[in-house]
Amino acid sequence: MMPPSRALALLLLAALIFSGCDNDPNPEPYHKTRPDGSPWRVRYGGIPGDPKSFDPQFAYDEVSREFIQHVYDTLLEYHPMKTEPVELIPCLLAEMPKRENHPDGTVSYLCRLQPGIHYHDDPCFPGGKGREIVASDVHYILQRIADPKVESPFFAILEQHIVGLHETRQAGTKNGKFDYNTLVSGFETLDNYSFRIQLNGPFPQLLYWMAMHAMSPVAREAVEYYDGQMHDGKVRPTFRFYTVGHGPFRMREYIPRQRIRYERVEGYRTSVFPSDGFPPEKAEWLKQFAGKPLPLFDELQLSVILETIPAFVLGRQGYLDGITANKDAFAAVVTSTGELTPKYKARGMELEKVVTPGTFYISFNMQDPVIGKNVKLRKALASAYDAREYVEIFYSGVAPVSNQLLPRGLFGYDAHYIDPNGYDLEKAKRLLAEAGYPDGRDARTGEQLVLSIEEPVSGTEERQRAEYEVRLFEKLGIKLKINENTFARLLERLEQGNFQIGSGTGWLADFPDPENFFFLFYSKNFPREGANYCRYSNPDFDRAYEKMAQMDDGPERLALIQQMNKMLADDCPAIFQFDKAFYVAAQPWGRWTHNSPVIEGGFYKYHQVDPVLREKLRAQWNRKPLWPLIALGLLLVAGFIYAVRWNQRNHV
Amino acid sequence: MFSFIIRRLLYSVPILLGVILLTFLLDNVMMSPEAKAARVLGPKAAHQARVDWIHLRGLDQPMPRQFVHYVGNLVTLQFGTTWVTGRDLRDVFLRGAGPSLLITVPGFFAAFLASVGLALFQVFVRDSTLDRFLTFLSVALMSVPTMVYVIFAQAVLALGLNYFPAFGFNYEGLGSVRFLLLPVAIFILINLGSDARLYRAVFLEEISQDYVRTAFAKGVTGPRVLAIHVFKNGLIAIITLVVAELPKLILGSLLIESLFGIPGLGSVLVQAIQTGDQPVVMASVFLGSVLYLLSLILTDICYALADPRIRLS
Amino acid sequence: MTETIARLYQHWITQDLQVIAGFAIVFWLLRAGARNERWQRAWVRMKRDRAGFIALGVVLLYLFVGALEILQIPGKQGSRSILDVFFAGIPKEKSYSAPLAATLLNSARHEPIIGRHWLGTDVLGKDVLVQMLKACRTALVIGGLTSAIYVPLGALLGVLAGYFRRWVDDVIQYIYSTLASIPEILLLVAILMVLGKGLGTMSIALGITGWVGLCRLIRGETMRQSERPYIAAARAIGQTHWKIVTRHLLPNVMHLVLISAVLGFSNIVLAEAILSYLGVGAPVGTASWGIMIDAGRTELGRDPLVWWNITAATTALFGLVLALNILGDALRRAFDPKRT
Repeated sequence: MMPPSRALALLLLAALIFSGCDNDPNPEPYHKTRPDGSPWRVRYGGIPGDPKSFDPQFAYDEVSREFIQHVYDTLLEYHPMKTEPVELIPCLLAEMPKRENHPDGTVSYLCRLQPGIHYHDDPCFPGGKGREIVASDVHYILQRIADPKVESPFFAILEQHIVGLHETRQAGTKNGKFDYNTLVSGFETLDNYSFRIQLNGPFPQLLYWMAMHAMSPVAREAVEYYDGQMHDGKVRPTFRFYTVGHGPFRMREYIPRQRIRYERVEGYRTSVFPSDGFPPEKAEWLKQFAGKPLPLFDELQLSVILETIPAFVLGRQGYLDGITANKDAFAAVVTSTGELTPKYKARGMELEKVVTPGTFYISFNMQDPVIGKNVKLRKALASAYDAREYVEIFYSGVAPVSNQLLPRGLFGYDAHYIDPNGYDLEKAKRLLAEAGYPDGRDARTGEQLVLSIEEPVSGTEERQRAEYEVRLFEKLGIKLKINENTFARLLERLEQGNFQIGSGTGWLADFPDPENFFFLFYSKNFPREGANYCRYSNPDFDRAYEKMAQMDDGPERLALIQQMNKMLADDCPAIFQFDKAFYVAAQPWGRWTHNSPVIEGGFYKYHQVDPVLREKLRAQWNRKPLWPLIALGLLLVAGFIYAVRWNQRNHV
Repeated sequence: MFSFIIRRLLYSVPILLGVILLTFLLDNVMMSPEAKAARVLGPKAAHQARVDWIHLRGLDQPMPRQFVHYVGNLVTLQFGTTWVTGRDLRDVFLRGAGPSLLITVPGFFAAFLASVGLALFQVFVRDSTLDRFLTFLSVALMSVPTMVYVIFAQAVLALGLNYFPAFGFNYEGLGSVRFLLLPVAIFILINLGSDARLYRAVFLEEISQDYVRTAFAKGVTGPRVLAIHVFKNGLIAIITLVVAELPKLILGSLLIESLFGIPGLGSVLVQAIQTGDQPVVMASVFLGSVLYLLSLILTDICYALADPRIRLS
Repeated sequence: MTETIARLYQHWITQDLQVIAGFAIVFWLLRAGARNERWQRAWVRMKRDRAGFIALGVVLLYLFVGALEILQIPGKQGSRSILDVFFAGIPKEKSYSAPLAATLLNSARHEPIIGRHWLGTDVLGKDVLVQMLKACRTALVIGGLTSAIYVPLGALLGVLAGYFRRWVDDVIQYIYSTLASIPEILLLVAILMVLGKGLGTMSIALGITGWVGLCRLIRGETMRQSERPYIAAARAIGQTHWKIVTRHLLPNVMHLVLISAVLGFSNIVLAEAILSYLGVGAPVGTASWGIMIDAGRTELGRDPLVWWNITAATTALFGLVLALNILGDALRRAFDPKRT
């Protein structure tokens, strides 16, 4: 057979390959130490998808925002630690905008940029040096939003409030091409850094919009330079996938579907670490960072991890700086009282609760002949839905069950509100009988009531949830027909009104203002233009909504919100399920400095990391036991010898 | 020979057209233009934005015109952009081919060697209990779904024992090997069972031929007969089978790649299916068909080379 | 009018009659085969093949369990399957529990569970053993329906192509080359997205993509048979094409069809698992091994580990597929002992 020397060589080769193996999937950082000799600080994060674009005026989805926030700052930003209530602080602006009320009912905001903030160096600028951000850059943003080629999703909303934006698109677009010499009449440049934005009427939400990347300044030179065409024999990337920002990081590498790496920019001064607003349990520890220049670390590696298990596994091995507690990881990470399990506490991790202003609800089609006209039937279904048990099974009982439209943390959220349509199975059965379907059967014909429910089913988790939801409703004795859909098809059916009950509808607000939620039941917001999938139409509700949208927070607004809540409870167009909240277990070397990434915002720049502690713990957690290998080797050798010996015996 | 190849190529053209027509029909039935726009722009985009999107891409034109456009695009290899990230598909495919080949090519050769070796060994010990046991083992290997292999490999080897990265991939020169060992090993395991059975049948066919009996009668020893006669002649039949598989290697193994997070063409396809990303799916179908037709031609060429009667017909 | 027809169709008696009819057809076909001399010789050889016999027994066992689940009997709330009645005593828990455990998996609170579960429960508290057995039905229905579609299609087209040659052969070759060149998974997903999810549509999709292999095989064999003198003799005495095809060719290739069908069944069952992973598998609420394996993927990442779901499904799947493969091999040996 094979000469022994060759076999030995093969074995040695195998051993060599094997010894080089370890299970660290991350590439080497850019440097080992900082210029001053201290260790180079890297943070590792995971993102569940690829970005749709890096263009701030185009990207409107959560994943893209995760990528943009490190490179582009916003005019205003949310204070990283204050969450109840949230507070806006200036970022690129030097101070908060001044509101000016005019006698004719219009409103304008006077703003001033911080002088001396520069774009990152890039070949698109003359001499390669980034220039200063000036007021005309903000005007350029508005022009881009009006430009139909940019396909900005923000145009439809902003054109209703900013004077002249609508006309700018009409006048400036010829043959689909926008002329950037067309000025937006509602924008007034006062000097290099100061400008005024004129509005049609009160629009207090404009400040929230200024905290969004939609209004992040971009350099005209960059947009025009990066056009995706061939220049000097090389194809330049398009601006949609290229960044020339002004934030604390610069994008160094982007490998689609794999990772993206950022490196710190020297001389960043737009924000510093705050000195106030520290939560009491961390105040002592946070004091050491007060007033320090940002960012606190040097390199950021974001890996694209599409599935939840690898993210959990990498977190457990220490190759990611946090473990997001999704459904399968939940029981392992979080106890039923909302604390970290002993196993992870022993590792030194800390539990952070991330609350985003979002909520899940089940929609009823108010225009459906069976469901839409029968309020008792809807209330029966609502009372049969046990959100608590659902959360217990799928989220270890810690996701916040919601009993009203607004999620926690928003103005108008009522902590003492009791949902008249809350879980009560007896009441549900009674209501169902009153609705004309005692025990689930039609009172007149004796037929079992059959309703169809749309479920977004694109994975195991959603499949199990759908099964469970149906089981809940079928306790009433009715039959539910499940229509499984991909998310896109679900949306299509919701928009066409081709459904009776729609599950999986939810809303993640752009900013923490109740207007963003009640908007979902405004009758002028019907699909296809709007997101009122329930097709709820109530003139009293509309009136209250219109008044409340323009008001500032205060007792009057609160009264209107309570009125609207009551109307929603009486008419029951939807079943409120739970708020969007999730837990992250932060690794011991990556304790969170900020409270939670509420919506948009560059909170990453406030992060810190301790690389020395990380190295130590990683080595500890990833030891490679050798005994299985030795056992396997012995087994193979024994088997081989036996086979040869046995064969010799039989074939002599 | 040349005319033979030309004839085969010409024969492929109507098939390719048929494939394009089929995928075009499927593409349009699967999702309405509205749904496609909603998919790309997201649920928060305004209705007008979707109408504009549809118009910009010519999806509101009559079907025949769209079809001609579609064919033209495919033939000039303009696959368009993916919906999820907006990247050019040519770029995506080129990038994806690398990791796919890094798994399938070594896996293929290793699986080939292992299967041939196992088949030869089984022929060597034919009709013994060992032979029957090995056949049973081959069938058993074939009977386990790929997913189960991957799941257990990840759970035991990567997570439990920390030997290999559970997930991911990185170009690091020689260091890249650690990401590939598990996927390649599983690739071998999946194919070993069925391949070994097939080759065993081929070799057994050879060994029952008259010329082998003559060799034995002449006094040539067992292993020598195997190595020289059976192996070489069986190889011709095997190679024609194997060559048909080569072009498909580029597509990679869908399940292995997506479960291990290797950013190859296979995982591109799986993601596209799961997210409903149609340009990717359609372009992959086209590509897959081209590769398949290529493999058919290659097989025919191999047959022609091996058997002069076919060449002359 | 259509409503009453639909209601009649859904009635448990019609469903049961369909299943019995299906079995009866298969039985009748096998009996027809038994009259064939080649088949009789093969049966003699099969009886001596121990492994094949055991495999046949295992397959019949699965068929039996599946039939228990498919056949429905009337109950209070609509019809239930025989298996349901048998296992009616086993309650549903709230969520996961380990095999033979006394409490739910969530260790913190030690909630007791009601019944005794030999293989534990899944995420919604359903008994895993019962699910595993019920999934036999899904596998058999998909396998059976798909075979009912692709076997006649492939065999018939194969014989026609092999016998008539010329333009018939060209057209059929064109059709299957086109179909075969599309990567199978893509075609399956595309068809399922159009037709919607469901066991019936899955079978249609698998049937459409599966007939090519059988067609090619039968075509080759038919061409070989057509060269034989007895076919020429039949033509010479004036037998019509139809008679030649049905009386001579089809019976002589049926053994290949049988072997292919058995091996193909195992591939179909495996394919169902992959389709579930891709998200186009059995509908929500159906018990299926593919869904259990797919769920198991995420469950193995849990802590504490949930291993019983995926292990049960894999074992059941493995058992059936292995038995089918061994049976197919045994059949091959029985019909053609030279090619061992």
